[in-house]
Amino acid sequence: MNSRTIEILLVEDNPGDARLTLEAFKEGKVLNNITIMGDGVEALAYLRRQGHYAGAVQPDLILLDLNLPKMDGREVLAEIKADEQLKKIPVVVLTTSEAEEDVARAYSSHANCYITKPVELEQFLNVVQSIDSFWLSLVKLPSQ
Amino acid sequence: MATALERSGVEELDRLKHRVATLEQLFEVYERTAIEQANKLEQLLEERKRAERELQKHKLHLEELVAARTAELRRANEQLKIDIAAREQAEQELALKAQELARSNADLEKFAYVASHDLQEPLRMVASYTQLLARRYKGKLDADADDFIGFAVDGANRMQQLIQDLLSYSRLTTRGKALELTETRRACDIAVKNLRRAIEESGAKVAVDDLPVVLGDVTQLSQLFQNLIGNGIKYCSDREPEVRVAAKTNGPEWIFSVRDNGIGIEPQYFERIFQMFQRLHTRKDYPGTGMGLAICRKIVERHGGSIWVESQPGHGSTFWFTIPRAERTQP
Repeated sequence: MNSRTIEILLVEDNPGDARLTLEAFKEGKVLNNITIMGDGVEALAYLRRQGHYAGAVQPDLILLDLNLPKMDGREVLAEIKADEQLKKIPVVVLTTSEAEEDVARAYSSHANCYITKPVELEQFLNVVQSIDSFWLSLVKLPSQ
Repeated sequence: MATALERSGVEELDRLKHRVATLEQLFEVYERTAIEQANKLEQLLEERKRAERELQKHKLHLEELVAARTAELRRANEQLKIDIAAREQAEQELALKAQELARSNADLEKFAYVASHDLQEPLRMVASYTQLLARRYKGKLDADADDFIGFAVDGANRMQQLIQDLLSYSRLTTRGKALELTETRRACDIAVKNLRRAIEESGAKVAVDDLPVVLGDVTQLSQLFQNLIGNGIKYCSDREPEVRVAAKTNGPEWIFSVRDNGIGIEPQYFERIFQMFQRLHTRKDYPGTGMGLAICRKIVERHGGSIWVESQPGHGSTFWFTIPRAERTQP
């Protein structure tokens, strides 16, 4: 069990969705700190501590939406998994897309798991709960 | 001598006279005959002339008739040419209209898809946050607030269901798979499996007879069975619901039937129930969006068949639908 605060990077362009995820994690058991990035370019800059993100903390988990402005989640995922520094960070693709093509492509790009965002709030809360209990509690993550 | 001579002369004269008289008589006869013959000839000539005149008259008449008839035919021909031209134009216009219709239909379908797809995202926000409001603040504000939140949650949920149904309706054509040989029994089994909970809760009996192989889309066919069997269970009377699925051949097609022992439908609604968003009951009595049978009709039509209902209020309903026989039939 992790006892320290878990750092999560949420890459999501829709503020409503981002907040909902935030709220859902609030109901979870694990102490966490969520940073939100609204597009793929910003997310990569944050992860690589470029520009004004020089002091950024490397996240323990990345929650990645696929449809993003500037650089979409598929490209962001490929970049992360091709980067020696970043590829060890687990990436959970969390998207509304049910397209089999997106699922296959995400796993080919070494996504750690792919979750289709349920429409129902109750189910969405369950999904976040599962992420919380699996990735943040059960799984042993690499140390920073 | 003289006397003898005179005598003989007189005799001779008499003979001559007699002869002349005879000749005159003969001549008279001949003359009469000749006149008669001439008269007859004249008569004949007259008759012939008359006949010729008559013939001429007829000929003229005939010519007139022919001319008239020819003119008539020519006119008819002209008219026919005009008619053909008009018809060709009408056909062209019809083809153009059909093309326009197909295009506007495709546009509409695209619109329905885009609208329902793009509406989902903002609607998900409304639904999620009203649900989150209900979750966090139910019973913590006042009774009015609980009511208001309740109505908002209910409205958002129903709209979500409507849009979901509209999206699946428009997906029937935009995302339909190619038709291939499909066991309808398999499609029906999937439907029954999906309905397991409703069947258990209602204690319904669902019987499925032998079903054929058709050219179809198994996903859509199972949705078709699921909607029809599901309706049979949902619109039930006091008795335990019983639904029977069967099929029989009828010339080039299969006729499927889904018969239930439910509340039945009044005849004046037999057509209306297959239209989009048409409902016969309040949401309180029987919840739903009114899209189920519209989806059924679209699926059947996509498979080249038709769907209709036979029912008597209080005596159950039978939904019939046809699907053309596949080249290869029974497996």
